[in-house]
Amino acid sequence: MPVTVELTGVRFGYGAEPILDGVDLDLSAGEFAVLAGANGSGKSTLLKLCVGLLRPADGSVTVLGGSPLDPAIRRRIGYAPQGLRMATSLPVSVTEVVAAGLTPSKGLLRRMDRRDWSKVNAALESVGLGDLSAECLFELSGGQQQRAILARALVADPDILLLDEPTTGIDQRLRPALAQELRRRADAGATVVAVSHDPDDFHQECDRILVIEDGRVRQITHEEFHTHLALGGGGSR
Amino acid sequence: MTRLLVPFAIRAYLAGGLVAVTAPVIGSFLVQRRLSLIGDGMGHLAFAGVALGLWMGISPVWGALGAAVLGGFVLEVLRARGRLAGDLSLALIFYFGIALGIVVLSAIDRFDASALTVLFGNILVTDWTDIAVIAVLCAAVLGVTAVFYKELLAVALDEETARASGLPVDRLNVLLLVLTALLVAAGMHVVGLLLIAALLVIPVAAGSRLAHSFRGSMLWGVAAGFASALVGLVGSIAQGTLASGGAIVLTAIAVFVLATVIGRRAARRHPRRVGA
Repeated sequence: MPVTVELTGVRFGYGAEPILDGVDLDLSAGEFAVLAGANGSGKSTLLKLCVGLLRPADGSVTVLGGSPLDPAIRRRIGYAPQGLRMATSLPVSVTEVVAAGLTPSKGLLRRMDRRDWSKVNAALESVGLGDLSAECLFELSGGQQQRAILARALVADPDILLLDEPTTGIDQRLRPALAQELRRRADAGATVVAVSHDPDDFHQECDRILVIEDGRVRQITHEEFHTHLALGGGGSR
Repeated sequence: MTRLLVPFAIRAYLAGGLVAVTAPVIGSFLVQRRLSLIGDGMGHLAFAGVALGLWMGISPVWGALGAAVLGGFVLEVLRARGRLAGDLSLALIFYFGIALGIVVLSAIDRFDASALTVLFGNILVTDWTDIAVIAVLCAAVLGVTAVFYKELLAVALDEETARASGLPVDRLNVLLLVLTALLVAAGMHVVGLLLIAALLVIPVAAGSRLAHSFRGSMLWGVAAGFASALVGLVGSIAQGTLASGGAIVLTAIAVFVLATVIGRRAARRHPRRVGA
């Protein structure tokens, strides 16, 4: 399978102290990786570097063979940030939020057609929100809001899925189905990266568990992941 | 009754209706992005633009439009670069615009009752040329918004994710501010430069009390804006001495209160579902 995400010697810090200090990482099409690490270890930062929201101080980030700053490449990435990032000034329906995920791939001057709305409905069904599509997002529970954000990342069938804590607030009994949906996306050829605190959410479905420690990424086993959590891993930055 | 249907009243309904229907469309994006006060900032700058226009022999509408567009662009650049906090940059714009306008008007000996007309509007003296200009500006705002609706909505919902997904966020932000500037210029005759921002915000706030979606909120906002303009104008024309701009805005506030009451009753009658 071709390499879709390639980080080479990536260094990044918000101040003088580097958070990521020489990260080397390859991810391939069809691969489902879970990314763990302690609070402030740089998990969210790494995702933002991959999607071009941050630029490395040193090293290189290559996504789908090009720069993550290239809009054409960004359109092939489904990104779900941690938590709800939108102002709650006006009511916004669940359908509107998910449909916004199709906007970049539709292109300017092209209106949503019946096939697009079918994709929106399919994405909503895949996260179990089919019957809440007309509801106002801000009147739903935190878990339902999180599932809507996940559906927005899924709706355009992206080649790469970068998901920051996608199961936060979601009921434990719904998590296996979401993990299976991500597995299905990976089996269809997508590269899936999910930042997670909880190895049990994904370990049945994922291919690799990666952990950020001391500014670098290394692969660990599920058992090591449990040990890592016991030592206080988790959180985001 | 006949007073309500004389030619100047008909022109007022047309001008007021055009602006009141258009303002909530663009105002919805501003409110969702927590930029409710930006219309005020542009209105203050437009006042300086009117004064500079009079000084240079340019039509007040074009002066207002130029200043509002330029100011909006500078404001967006400053906001995007994080050089100024949002409220501080707006405060600076407010004071700069109004002070510059007063100084220029007084320097050319035009700081008289006509300044009040610019600031608070006088829709009852609009002529057909004014209405044509308002119609063109409103049509431009509505047309461009319709074309870029889904992009503007995606940015309004979540700017960071929109940027991550490849949308030209910076250009869309500038577009939104240019459209706001067009609306400010169009509203100058209707409610004046100090009150036009009220039509951008209050009907949308009213609509948000009745809807469960952005589009629904916008459409209810359009209805609320139109109703406010019509009732406010009829009231001011029938009474004879009421300032039409103030009457329209006060009516919009009354509509907002009414919508809030109706929205709360509806919420009590049909509580929303909540789950995990």
